[in-house]
Amino acid sequence: MKFSYSWLCEHLETDKNATEIGDALTNIGLELESLSDYSSYSKFVVATIKDFKKHPNADRLNICKVDDGADTYQVICGANNVKKGLKGIFAKEGMYIPGTKIHLKKGKIRGETSEGMLLSERELNLSDDHEGIIELSENFKNGTSAVEALKLDDPIFEIGITPNRGDCLSIRGVARDLSAKGMGKLKPLRYEKIKKLEFESPISWSIKNDENSCEYVVSRYFKDVNNTKSPEWLQKKLISLGLRPINALVDITNFITVDLGRPLHVFDADKVGKKLDMRLANSNEKILALDNKDYTLDGNSTVIADSNNALAIAGIIGGDHSGCTENTKNVFLEVAIFNPNSVAKTGRSLGINSDARYRFERGLDKNMVLEGLEYASYLINKICGGSVSKNTDAGKLDTNEHKIKYDFNYFNKVIGLDLEPQIQVKILKDLKFQINERGDNECDVLVPSWRNDVKNNIDIVEEIIRIYGYDNINISVPSSSKDEINNIENSLVNKKFKTITKLKKTLLSNGVSEVITFSFHSNRAQEILTGDTSLKISNAISDDQSFMRNSMIFNHLESAELNFKKGIKNIQLFEIGPIYNSSQSQENILSLLISSQDDTNSIYKSVNFNFYSLTELASKLISSLNFDIKQFNISRSTSNIYHPGQSAEVHMGKKLIARYGKVHPLIMEEFPKLKNTYAIELFFENLPIESISRVNSINILDSQFQFSEKDFSFIFEKEQNLYEVQRYVTGIDKNLIKNVEFFDLYESNDLGDNSKSVTFRVTIQSKEKTLEEKDLEQLHKNILEKVSNKFKAKIRT
Amino acid sequence: MDIKKVLNKATKEIEQSSNQLDLQNVKVAYLGKKGKITELLKSLKNLSLDEKKSTGAELNQLRGEVDNLIKIKFNQIKVEEINSKLRNESLDFSFPPPNSISPKVHPISKTFDEVITIFGSMGYSVAEGPDIETDYFNFSALNIPENHPAREMQDTFYIDDKDKDGKPFVLRTHTSPVQIRTLLNEKPPIKIIAPGRTYRCDSDSTHSPMFHQVEGLFINENANMGDLKGTLIEFCKQFFNVQDLKVRFRPSYFPFTEPSAEMDIAYEIVNNNIKLGQGDLWLEILGCGMVNPIVLENCNVDTKNFQGFAFGMGLDRITMLKYGLTDIRSFFSGNLNWIANNGFSIGDF
Repeated sequence: MKFSYSWLCEHLETDKNATEIGDALTNIGLELESLSDYSSYSKFVVATIKDFKKHPNADRLNICKVDDGADTYQVICGANNVKKGLKGIFAKEGMYIPGTKIHLKKGKIRGETSEGMLLSERELNLSDDHEGIIELSENFKNGTSAVEALKLDDPIFEIGITPNRGDCLSIRGVARDLSAKGMGKLKPLRYEKIKKLEFESPISWSIKNDENSCEYVVSRYFKDVNNTKSPEWLQKKLISLGLRPINALVDITNFITVDLGRPLHVFDADKVGKKLDMRLANSNEKILALDNKDYTLDGNSTVIADSNNALAIAGIIGGDHSGCTENTKNVFLEVAIFNPNSVAKTGRSLGINSDARYRFERGLDKNMVLEGLEYASYLINKICGGSVSKNTDAGKLDTNEHKIKYDFNYFNKVIGLDLEPQIQVKILKDLKFQINERGDNECDVLVPSWRNDVKNNIDIVEEIIRIYGYDNINISVPSSSKDEINNIENSLVNKKFKTITKLKKTLLSNGVSEVITFSFHSNRAQEILTGDTSLKISNAISDDQSFMRNSMIFNHLESAELNFKKGIKNIQLFEIGPIYNSSQSQENILSLLISSQDDTNSIYKSVNFNFYSLTELASKLISSLNFDIKQFNISRSTSNIYHPGQSAEVHMGKKLIARYGKVHPLIMEEFPKLKNTYAIELFFENLPIESISRVNSINILDSQFQFSEKDFSFIFEKEQNLYEVQRYVTGIDKNLIKNVEFFDLYESNDLGDNSKSVTFRVTIQSKEKTLEEKDLEQLHKNILEKVSNKFKAKIRT
Repeated sequence: MDIKKVLNKATKEIEQSSNQLDLQNVKVAYLGKKGKITELLKSLKNLSLDEKKSTGAELNQLRGEVDNLIKIKFNQIKVEEINSKLRNESLDFSFPPPNSISPKVHPISKTFDEVITIFGSMGYSVAEGPDIETDYFNFSALNIPENHPAREMQDTFYIDDKDKDGKPFVLRTHTSPVQIRTLLNEKPPIKIIAPGRTYRCDSDSTHSPMFHQVEGLFINENANMGDLKGTLIEFCKQFFNVQDLKVRFRPSYFPFTEPSAEMDIAYEIVNNNIKLGQGDLWLEILGCGMVNPIVLENCNVDTKNFQGFAFGMGLDRITMLKYGLTDIRSFFSGNLNWIANNGFSIGDF
């Protein structure tokens, strides 16, 4: 909300300056967002160009003789509006120019001395106007300060009002809160009640809705008014807030909305019927509003209507047809209390953000209904003349004040301060709370009518500390207890974060960088991956971010493409973050993408990254968490993310632990620039991380006796899962077989379509002795026989 | 027989040997079974005892000298041969390496780590909750009823799917629903932080539709607002690594805390850079407050015996402030150059 210092002072008698007021506003929770304060501009003064001549060395420059009332100066000026007798704003050498952020130096411009500067509005930060120097009327005396000449003596505050403080959506409300903080005294409102309410209003009200969307409405009828332009004081006030003056009647309602926080409405009485209703709108009822837009209402909105038409949307905006113009002769003024909820609902569904709605939905001071009526009547009568009717109303105004039983000790317990009851009581009284039946420890508090937000003890505590000052709260740092440290050690989530850190370190040491991408993906990604369509974002910002992702693969491919375009040829990136399977199922996974471009001309001996390198990386990741990939069930992946022939899935029981492979060519069609692209997804949350202990599964060479290695080659069926073979061979003699390592795979026509030749090396070692040749031969024979029987494999020689 | 002549001749021949084979031949010619010096030694048997003694000594000395010369020469030849081999193996040391991107973690990862560590040292364990939330957890349970203006403080993303109350799921607009989930599942005392992703439909250089927050919640018999201030000041001192930290708490409003506060950190501009800790300018760091008893009651916590505080801060924001980063959009662009320039390598993480 915006207001000027002088306007504030109409409600607040204060000796504080604008800066002090600004600080106090922030300290009581009315955050100062900006304060335009031009008091430093008093050093700039009015001066006259007494004479000027062309600069001998520059066509566009003039040499001016400038008189500031005290002295004359030579000033070089490039403005195109330089003329003899012009009165402008002058800055002497040494002064700081706010618009250009420089200190003026005495110096020569193209050989001619310049002792100061005539300023433009932009150089004073007043506007963007730099067309020429400021031209003032001839009435100003030289030497008059710029603050006076440019009328900059009224600082403008802009403050943020939190949604609970509807009472401060008025200048009077702000003044009231400042007075409680000791920043001055609240002045009484200065107006006179209309002495003679001469006649009965020809227009009457009835409230006709079953819901309580309108509690009370009261009106007066003004006969024979003259709706002219507003007087200058009123126009200036509205302009200072950035509002455009329209005509006196409209301006008065806008003024009271801001000044008292009391929205009200004026109808042209000759354009409405004699019986007005507050009623729910008919469905599809239409109204052309004052903002010149047509709105279609539904049955939940409340309207003000006569027997023919809806005339206004209650608490939100008036209708264009019944509005006041300069031809209006008779006026019907309406002041009402609408239900905040129904105003909020209607306003939101119609998308109308009006000053009235803003205030109604935050709750109004019910005691301001009649005061607002009187104040508006006074202004209308004073400015537009005419005669005023008696009140006509409907409904019942419930002005019961809210009472709270308040416990003084509660404050101390919550805030951690020992604040004497009498200090607490004083603050409450300053805030115009009434204290009744005060005991030693508690009292009854009557909440003022404008503080709808104060409902219970904790609200009272907040009021007291808000004024007492947050700075005065003692600081203490609670230490951590043994129990808490135990909790951290046993916390599954803490363990998960440790796991994540381990994975990140492993990835870094393998040359993979981390990215973080949005949790969304595109329509197109959704189509291709066929995820759950219920995860569509109803109000997405764009098509690219329209679904919650069920995989990170598209985000990472997009990232890879972006980096490729930036010239990075070998892309290795990962992200640890959420994917979404349904609105109630989210899991954090690691997703990794490697996209490498062959560069055959390179001097570097490079092995192309392939599916087997990917398997090695997946295995490393799993071992970094102290699991062994070989313990799990590994099969071909059925995911549509991967190339069906170059991918695998790792399961523990039924739980998916990882899947990896070459990215499916159909997906890669969307990213034609990327070649040779692989991905790993590690579903680390499915690992039993709570039971991880440090186990090293590879145990070769832990004996001092000699080891022996022997290579075996078999021809297996093509679909034979070699992890099974590995597990089986390892189990043939657990004491002696230390390692089974596969190193060659050969598939060719001469083996037949359904066969593959595989070579693995078995490391044999005893803990007790150096094995003799015959022991070894027996074991070799054993392996050959058992493997060929178990897997129907041919021994290859 | 002139021993000196033999020595001179041998010395010359050793000197002239240019490889191991030549030298071996010289060695055989003098010291071999039929070598000159061997023959001379053999001929000693024909001499008288006295002559044997004197000539024998001379001959033995000769044999020793020649043997030594051969060894020295042998070593010389070997070194030369290795040197010559190394010359052939020489590669171009001046061939520049490729410009590789050094792998780094995202600055947000570093912040997550530090936040968990600092609060961990104060006794906070980590909790979590889903990104896709029900209307109830994200709003109503936190004392933000439907149609309340506070809902418009946050631009909410909605999901097509509806929850069991028939309301669309929302993307959580803050990490505060984790407060509710924790309060419903655990008995006080509770001391948790909940870092995670949050969402609001807003996008410009200071707003991203996705961003990160950390929530904190401390509930016990007597945690008060002084504890809240102390905890947050301590965190900021450690996180921003500024011991002399000027801060300000000012009243604010969040429906789920009361009293509510916003915490600002003082800063000044030094050489066009933000310097945190001192100065006359203020930066908003976080929102906090005493947990509103209405929220505790919504979670069946006995408000006669338990109270406490909560806080929430933007992790992207404190990361940007700490490292002087300006555009939040670059955080989530997946640009590896940006990560390389702004991220942290394994040693710093």
